Amino acid sequence: MKPVLWRKLFGPVKALEPDQVKDYILQHPEGTYALIDVRQPGEYEAEHIPGAQLIPLPDLANSLNKLDPEKPTIVY
Amino acid sequence: MYNLKGGIKAWQGLKAVGPVELNLDLIQGDESPVAMIEISYGMEETLRKFYLLASEQIKNGEVVALLKKLGDIEERHKQILLSRYAELNPSEPDGQAGLADRLPQILEGGFKFSEFLDRNRAAFQSIPELLDLAMMIETQALDLYLRFAMKMSEESSKKILYKIADEEKAHLEALGKLRDKPFMEKKLTLHLPFMS
Repeated sequence: MKPVLWRKLFGPVKALEPDQVKDYILQHPEGTYALIDVRQPGEYEAEHIPGAQLIPLPDLANSLNKLDPEKPTIVY
Repeated sequence: MYNLKGGIKAWQGLKAVGPVELNLDLIQGDESPVAMIEISYGMEETLRKFYLLASEQIKNGEVVALLKKLGDIEERHKQILLSRYAELNPSEPDGQAGLADRLPQILEGGFKFSEFLDRNRAAFQSIPELLDLAMMIETQALDLYLRFAMKMSEESSKKILYKIADEEKAHLEALGKLRDKPFMEKKLTLHLPFMS
């Protein structure tokens, strides 16, 4: 696993309040950040934040090539 | 790396529904920017036609006026796409005619206007309910554009999709502000075509 991606995945994670995430999404153009849904497909299907990329938690470590280390990433 | 505190249960913002692959078969993932504009133009025109059809079937004057306004917004989105299309296709003298001729039958298989109207007729009884419906439709459109972008391998086409998604976000923000006015109270359960 590339060190930068390892640090991204297992490094410090800052918790944001829902309103902070809402403001972040509104204020940042699409394509400049990543939004990741780590739940299961059925949960995603029932409801998800628009544009969230589904990567279930058990698959996250093996899916790091799908993440851009240069982009801020919001996870839920 | 950021984490949404409380997860989606705590999320009070827009929510889309449906599986990851919903309507992703509308694109291959290697479309050129021009092809992507054609597809997006078709989607906006589909929505515009829906609002127009609804406005012709509803008697409430206020609701009709809002439906026409919603249709005008879709027309504006089409014009933005048309401008971008003209930039990419300077040799085509009448971009709008060209786009109209090649309109893909977006969502035709699963989106029958009259059936959708019948199943969600309650949404057309008042302004708050209509705004809930419009926001749900536009949220699904935003989600689809962003899932298209995830599938897209062509970077310049991705950029087109991100731009359209940003327009939809602004549109939703405006609808949300309208919805938050004091008369907004009722929550609506929407029956979408792919839900049994």
